[in-house]
Formats: sequence, structure tokens, C-alpha cells
Amino acid sequence: MIELRNVWRLYRMGDETINALAGIDLEISQGEFISIVGPSGSGKSTLLNIIGGLDSPTTGTVVVDGQNLSKASDRELSLYRNKKVGFVFQTFNLQPTYTALENVALPLVFAKVPLRKRNEIARDTLETVELAERLGHTPGQLSGGERQRVAIARALVNDPRILLADEPTGNLDSRTSELIVELLQRLSKERGITMLLVTHEMMIAEHANRVIHMLDGQIARSTERK
Amino acid sequence: MTIRDLLRNAFSNLRRRKLRSFLTIFAVVIGAALVSLLVSLGVGAQEFLTAQIRATMPPDVLMVGSNPNAFQIGFGAMGFGGSPEEITDDEGSPYSLAPLTPQEIESVRALEHVERVDPYIMVSADSVRLQNSEKRFRTQLTALPDYLITSKELVAGRYLNDDSQGECIIANQYLESFNFDRAEDALGQEVVIQVGQITSFIGLPTKTKDYTFEIVGVAEKTLSSTQIMISIEDGKEIARFWANEPELYTDEVPPAILQVKVEDSQYADQVAEAVEDLDLGALTSADVLGLVGDIFTIIQAVLSVFGLIALGVASLGIINTLIMAIYERTREIGVMKAVGASQGTVRRLFTTEGAAIGFLGGVIGVAIGYGLGFIINQVSHSTFLADFETFNISVFPWWLIVGVIALSTLIALLAALYPAHRASRLDPIEALRYE
Repeated sequence: MIELRNVWRLYRMGDETINALAGIDLEISQGEFISIVGPSGSGKSTLLNIIGGLDSPTTGTVVVDGQNLSKASDRELSLYRNKKVGFVFQTFNLQPTYTALENVALPLVFAKVPLRKRNEIARDTLETVELAERLGHTPGQLSGGERQRVAIARALVNDPRILLADEPTGNLDSRTSELIVELLQRLSKERGITMLLVTHEMMIAEHANRVIHMLDGQIARSTERK
Repeated sequence: MTIRDLLRNAFSNLRRRKLRSFLTIFAVVIGAALVSLLVSLGVGAQEFLTAQIRATMPPDVLMVGSNPNAFQIGFGAMGFGGSPEEITDDEGSPYSLAPLTPQEIESVRALEHVERVDPYIMVSADSVRLQNSEKRFRTQLTALPDYLITSKELVAGRYLNDDSQGECIIANQYLESFNFDRAEDALGQEVVIQVGQITSFIGLPTKTKDYTFEIVGVAEKTLSSTQIMISIEDGKEIARFWANEPELYTDEVPPAILQVKVEDSQYADQVAEAVEDLDLGALTSADVLGLVGDIFTIIQAVLSVFGLIALGVASLGIINTLIMAIYERTREIGVMKAVGASQGTVRRLFTTEGAAIGFLGGVIGVAIGYGLGFIINQVSHSTFLADFETFNISVFPWWLIVGVIALSTLIALLAALYPAHRASRLDPIEALRYE
């Protein structure tokens, strides 16, 4: 499903070159729930962004579902982000002026789904995250956990194969965090979505089938759990 | 992203920052109002002049002169623009006209689609007065074939025909000069027209002759405020005295200029070409209107420059507004890219927003320009243009309304290109981290 071969991502910062990723080889199969842990600056987010098509490797190949992302154009990448992946961020990144429904429907706008149809899909998706009764609220009127559930609904609305969550519980209390991770786990199981979850909380990471430990842009260790 | 969604997004973004949107649009409004109002004044003046020319020279009538250059009009002939024209020996001065020969007149008459040929009568009168009054007024005496007389509108009385003798139609403005309350009162009255001979030498007493005419018609108010129309036959007689040439307009001294009526206005150009093939000069009303059109195109272009400068300044405001919007919406753009907006989509989002500013500004601007034009028309009709109810100084044809809105939209869209390019090139990862 996801295959990374000798992926490097270099950044130039003044005179220094930083190896955000330094030769990553990784294979992920359909429906896996993977946690990526490691100290800050270890390359967790960069790895997620490259798999999500937001960033491109300096060298190496990234193949997702048979599509070579390292050679894709902006158009192809934007289509890939629109159809195949969903992003969940630590800071939610919801549009403050949009209602929950409009936020969830945003990816469908770029997929050229007509208004009536996308409101219908967005409403259904909000139902799966149990927020059907809050669809007219703006993010400012929602709690942190509710906001993150709206963000998850937005990531799900295009029925993606992969869901990428970068510290999704970083801004939530432990009880809400637990609920969010359980939601992600359920979605992965029910829909067969491949889930990649970046976190630095072991409690959260332990929900995954596989935990990848990163250090200095490399995979230090990978633990399978059943 | 569909066009519908692009528009929805553009207008909802404009609503989000109401004051800023208003100020940016307002600058466009001023430009669009200026362009539309100034051009509408030019259109009004052109329409008025065109109508006046049409009244004296209908599209199915052309003038024929003995010299091929007789009617050369345009900037070259007036002496500005093109280089001076060479004069060849046999042509003489381009503005002097020898009489046509009877053969030439016959060959013009024989041309296909020519309906009738009349001499163009040149007459001049010194003054006009009522039969039993000593008050004399200036006048412009015109002898016309009946089809040209019937093309004018009358407010009272009847037209002349070609056989009319001693009958005339007076300009509306004479009613006031002659102290008639109603146009009908003038009918049946007699006027005395005094004609002075043209060949009189300055300092010597002028030979004059009085001609008496009965008023049978009063014309509608036009710019020709001193015109008195008489029949061709009466005109010939007066012209012979005026020019001191008893044989004028006969085969001995034929006319130099003919008025040629064609069967239909569609043949005017064709006949004009045939006339030129006879080595004579021809002038159609389309020629005159073409020159008027050229002059007004230049006037309108000069007038619109002021509005265009205003629109240019407004486009700077649009650029500024949209660049500010990029900073404000950096995160939003990042999210849009993360959920599937391509660089092209982001570019279109911003150009649509710019175009929306231009469109709104254009619509409001044209509406204001139209309103100002309406006020100008009302004021002018109640003051200096009271006599010309049908003439509007400010005229808004559909192409002006559509054109100004399209122009403001286009200029705004062009102004949005640079901000749109910048927005589209934002790195989504940086944008999502932007505080």
C-alpha cells in the first residue's frame, strides 16, 4: 500500500543542512494502524507530510497505491490529497468563519461535488463522529474534542484510503484524547483505513498495531503488537 | 472547484471584511462612474450631431460635384495629419468647382439605381421681414427638392411640392421673432425676403431685390434656427439674380453640384463609386457620418483617459487588498491545499475575488454614472436645452453599460494576477504552521 525506499529530505537552514529524513525504508499495508513516536525534530512530521503528498523527498521514492508521489506534479499531488488521504492536525486547522458542516464539506468543494450533495455527505460524516446535532456551529462554539472530531470528519469526508494524524491529541486533555484515539481506531477497523498517527504520548501510541520509533531522521526501532 | 463555488467563495470573502471591501470597491466605482459618464456625454453629443446631419442629408441622397476632389473630407484634406497632397495641373484648386457639362449630368442621371437628379441650389438672402413690419431678421434661405422638404417634421401647415411658387416653410424660431403665439397663426402670413447681388463691389451700393412668400408651414425646432425653405424653382430664380447670371442652372451654365436621390440607401455607395468612375466627385451621408464618428472616437478616447487613470489607481488598491488577504488567510490557504486545492485552484480563488471587486465596482459605478447623466439631462432640459426636448447630453447605449462593467472586471482581474500567483506558491507546510 505505502512503500518508501531510501527517502531523504534535506532542509537548508542558513549554512547548515538538516537531514529531516535520512534514508527511510518503510512498507505499510492496507488497514494498518501505525503510531510514529520520537523526540521533536526526529522527522515524524516530515515523514507524515511526505506520505500525505504535502512535501516531496529530496531523493528516494514514495509509492502509494501504485502511484509514485516523488515524480507527481502539483496537480496530481493535489488530486491525491483530495481523494486518497485525510489530514488531522494538532491545532485542528478549521476555518473559523465556516460552520462545522462547511468545514467538513471543504474537500468536496475541490472535488467539484455540488452544494446539495456535499452537504448531504458532510452531514452523514458528522454523524459517524457523533456530531450531527452541532453541524451549524462554528469552531468557536465547540469544545476542543468536538473541534477535533469535526477535523476528523473533514479528513474522512472524501472516503480516503489513508488518514494522517499529526499529534491529534496534543491540545486535548487525557480523557478527550482517549476518546479521539478510540474513534480513530474504530474508523481504521470498520473502514479499513490505513492510519498513521504521530504522537509523543506512549499512552496514545499503544493503541496501534505497530509503533515506529524515530530518531534523527531515521527509524530507530519498530515494534509490532497484537 | 466549480465556477459557482469560486464565486460563492469570492463574495463571502468580500462580506467577511466589509469596510475594506467597500473601500476597495469604492475606488473602482469612481473610475467606472467617470468613464461611463464621460463617454455617455460624448455619445449624446455624437447622436445629436448625427441626427442633425441625417436631417440635412438623408442616407439615400448623395452630392455629386464636377471635381473628383470636390468632397474630400478627412484630416488629410483639412491640413492636419497626412502630408500635403500634390495638385496636378488639370485639377486646379481642389476647392474650386467648374460647372458640370450637360453630358455629365445626363450620364449621372443614366446611372443604375438613380431615381432623380436635382441641381444643388446655392442662394443667399440678406434679411427677412413680415409683409407689414419693418423689423428685419437674418435668414438662411434654402431651396430643396420636395422629398428633402417632406423629410422634415412640421408643427403646423403643409409641405411644399416642386411646383410651389411663392410659398415657404419657416424655422420654428421665427415664431418668436415674428411674435406669433401659436404656429397656426403664422400660416397664410407673407414674408418679404431681401436678396443682395453677390457681385456688388464693396463700397458701391448693393443691388437688392425683394421676394414675397406666403408661409404655408412651420418646421419643428432644430439647430437650423434661421432656415427658410422654398421650392427648387423659386430657388433657381433667386439664385440667378443673386449670382447675376440669368442662364444659371440651364444648359448654358449648368450647376456645379447635383443632389442625387437613389432608389434605396443601400445603393448609395454603389452609385457613389459609379459617379467617381465618371471622374466626378461624390459624397454620401455615410462619408460625413464616418468623419463625425472618427472625431468622436478620439474625443471619447481622450475623455475616458481620466476614468482609466482612476481605474488604474483603483487596481493598486485591489493588489494591496489581496496581498493583505494572503497574510490573513495563510493558514486557510494551507488547509485548502492540504485537502486538495491545487496551485491553479488557489490562483483562481484570488483572481475571482479580484474580478468580483471589479464587477461590483463596475456595476455600482455605471449605475452612479447613469444617475449623474440623468440629473444632467434633467437640469439641461430645464435650462439651456429647454428647446431640444429630444436631445439628451448623456446617453447610455447598452454597449457602454456592458463595456464599462467588463472593463472594470478585466482591470481588477489583471490586478489580482500577482497576488494570486503569490498565494498559489505558498508552501502548504509553512502555511499550516503560520501564526
